Amino acid sequence: MVLKIFFPQCCNRADSGLLVGRWISGHDSAVVLAVIHYPFIPGQVKQYIQQMQAQSGVELSVLGSWSLPKEGQEGMESFLRDLSTIFPQERWLQIKRQMGKTGFTCEILNRDQNDQHDDSDNKKKQEKKKEEEEGEEEEKVIFVHYEQRKVMLSQLHPIENGVPDPKTEPPSELRQVFQTVARSQPLFFLDRYDDGPLKSTHWQSEGREASIIMELLKQASVPLCLLISWLLSVWTWICNVRIFSLYPLRFLSSKLSTCVQLSYRTEHLRTLSSAKPATGHTEFMRKSNILVSFLIDVALGLLLISWLYRDDHIRMLANTLVPAADHVAKELEELLQWLMGAPAGLKMNRALDQVLGRFFLYHIHLWISYIHLMSPFIEGILWYGGLSACLGLTFALSLLSDMVALLTFHIYCFYVYGARLYCLKIYGLSSLWRLFRGKKWNVLRQRVDSCSYDLDQLFIGTLLFTILLFLLPTTALYYLVFTLLRLGVVLFQGILHLSVDFINSFPLFAMGLRICRSYRLGEGVKFRVLCEEPGTALHLLMEINPLKCSTVVQTYRTPTYSCYPKDSWAALIKKLFVGELIYPWRHKSTKTD
Amino acid sequence: MGPDGAPGPSVPWQKVLWERQPFPDNYVDQRFLEELRRNEGIRQYRYWTVVKEAGFVGQQLSCVAIFISLWLYMEQGLLSPETLLWSSLVCALLGYGLYQSLSSQVESGCEPRTRLADLQSAAIFLSFTFGFSPVLKTLTESVSTDTVYAMSAIMLLAHLVSFPYTHPSPPGSLSLNAALFASVCLASRLPGALHTFAMLSCALMVFALWPCLLQRVRDIAPTHFTGVCLGVCVGGVGGLGLQSPGGAVLLALALGSVTLLCPLLLVRLQRHKDNIQGPWDEAEIHEDLDHGRGT
Repeated sequence: MVLKIFFPQCCNRADSGLLVGRWISGHDSAVVLAVIHYPFIPGQVKQYIQQMQAQSGVELSVLGSWSLPKEGQEGMESFLRDLSTIFPQERWLQIKRQMGKTGFTCEILNRDQNDQHDDSDNKKKQEKKKEEEEGEEEEKVIFVHYEQRKVMLSQLHPIENGVPDPKTEPPSELRQVFQTVARSQPLFFLDRYDDGPLKSTHWQSEGREASIIMELLKQASVPLCLLISWLLSVWTWICNVRIFSLYPLRFLSSKLSTCVQLSYRTEHLRTLSSAKPATGHTEFMRKSNILVSFLIDVALGLLLISWLYRDDHIRMLANTLVPAADHVAKELEELLQWLMGAPAGLKMNRALDQVLGRFFLYHIHLWISYIHLMSPFIEGILWYGGLSACLGLTFALSLLSDMVALLTFHIYCFYVYGARLYCLKIYGLSSLWRLFRGKKWNVLRQRVDSCSYDLDQLFIGTLLFTILLFLLPTTALYYLVFTLLRLGVVLFQGILHLSVDFINSFPLFAMGLRICRSYRLGEGVKFRVLCEEPGTALHLLMEINPLKCSTVVQTYRTPTYSCYPKDSWAALIKKLFVGELIYPWRHKSTKTD
Repeated sequence: MGPDGAPGPSVPWQKVLWERQPFPDNYVDQRFLEELRRNEGIRQYRYWTVVKEAGFVGQQLSCVAIFISLWLYMEQGLLSPETLLWSSLVCALLGYGLYQSLSSQVESGCEPRTRLADLQSAAIFLSFTFGFSPVLKTLTESVSTDTVYAMSAIMLLAHLVSFPYTHPSPPGSLSLNAALFASVCLASRLPGALHTFAMLSCALMVFALWPCLLQRVRDIAPTHFTGVCLGVCVGGVGGLGLQSPGGAVLLALALGSVTLLCPLLLVRLQRHKDNIQGPWDEAEIHEDLDHGRGT
């Protein structure tokens, strides 16, 4: 049987006293949390421990005694042994250390057996002989040293939240150690330097950290949160006004990415400004991630603004925008003229070609007139639109994406016309091909059956089949050209959305924590041997393994309305072939709970 | 092991395998293969009957030839579309009258089509074809001539191959569709929209309506049927001969081989037929065809 004692490093040089900690049930281990020094009154110690137990919820108890005799303090051993009778325990640990030596010695007193199991050199051989005769096992002790402050602040991953289910296995030993140290915060308030009935040594004894800024921020955040929540409630009330729930407006606002981003940020701010502090590690991390993302977003947006409003950049942009749109329209016109000829030597049906080409040319002409109508207002729109970047870079990017969508609306229209025509043609052809062979589609059985048609059905069907077949290359070419254009626009918009999504969801705070304070996000522990001498107990140092960066990102990603491809590649190609309209990006809603 | 082998034991052999017998498993006695039947159900063909039936195939071939020669005339401008239209109309009316007079002689069990339904069908055909003829005319404008000829040839061949020679009425889907497809391809090569319309009406008559009439003639007056077939064949050869003598010679040869040579081969080769049937054949389920066919 091996007894593991988790000993804090800060107590290595503590004066002699009582060990306070917790026995881990189910495993043979104990966690030492603090050392209470002499002089003390046992009744006060017991009262203090009960008080701490009630406050923290950890089953604290006196584990044993610790002796580091300084000059002039001899004869403590018998005194310490007598203490075991005052604090009745199942097992009583007596840990001794000599100044100048690295190893500890530990004696374990069992209450019922009243035997002494000793690890020290002198009695070891005797004990072994005695035990071999009796056939019992010797109890070995391993000291695992840990840095108390780091373990207190660390969180083991994967995170187990909530009340542990009694049916599942109890948490592992390591988890229990970490949980014990983390929850024993009330124990660490009183220090040996405080004026109180008890003097204890723990991590605070190594020097308290000055975090006045944090305290000030904590004090200032309360009224700020109140202000933000009030503003948000006003904003939500405005948004829920009945007039905005009309169908066209609601449809538009769900399509425009700016509105989506706005609602998303509102959600975030609402999470941030809730009055109660974060319960649990996950909520705390999420809040901090949101806050840091938001601040970085706003900072980047302000950077963009400072660049944009300097040196008349807005006027330059506005002056290049209208000629750019003109240029796009001209290119489209040239493309259509090329299609109306004999593009790439393909055989097009001249009449249909002319019809389609003229139709699209008229559309482009309409569009150009619309752009020219809008041109005086472009600068103003850009100026006010650029102001939105002060809410964050994501807003500017969403606005850009929306503007691109609006400017290329004619390409979208062309794509829809071409796709519908092509789709109709493909369906007609497939159905008439079945008629050609004398078969028909059985809708009930979802299969192809033979069918005897009437004479007129056959005649008209064959005529239509011939017509559709010969007109197929023309329609297919128009469809192909406009689909490629549409896919280009979709790709560009997709890049914008992906970058917005990245800014929204990347857990900057968690990454910063992983880089600067890597012990706070722990994946496991590793042990290093400190002192291994035969005769003394084994001393190990427990170091926290930091979490891998990829796991950090995966665990702490803020869930967003991320856009991801709706179809796999095979399904996309099939849809393109048949002529169905494609909407390659799908927005996931944040309301998953 | 067989009837010539050593005399077996006195127990008679039974053709069963579930009883232990003193014979080996592959033993056969003298009743071996007595249930073998040779050439059961074989028909003895008579030459001239087969020739008469094969005449139908030749007739269909000549129909196609007539259609092609009509198209050739139209393309070279020797035949004007109005002439063709009027003659098709007259022929159609004559054929319709003949059809009705023949069907009045027979009590038809199925629903008779009323005159109104026929008129309606005719109106649909004509209006549709007339309406679409400008579109059909420009359909193959950009396709090269060779491709058009190749497509038409393949489609006419498919029509001949898939033609339902036993029950041509109603016409089978694939054969009629293939013929119409070929006629559209050819008709779109003609100079004007009216030409296209005339050609398509002619194609409809030749490929859709003529087989119905012929079937009716065959059912009612078999002797006249042979005469009609012969007439069509002669007409085909003659019509083609005026345009291209080489084509006419080819057609005559094809007709000759189909109607005269192939039956001879069939009758001759019948002698070499050697089918065996016996109890080892797969069971055949004979359905009563009249009960199985839906209404």
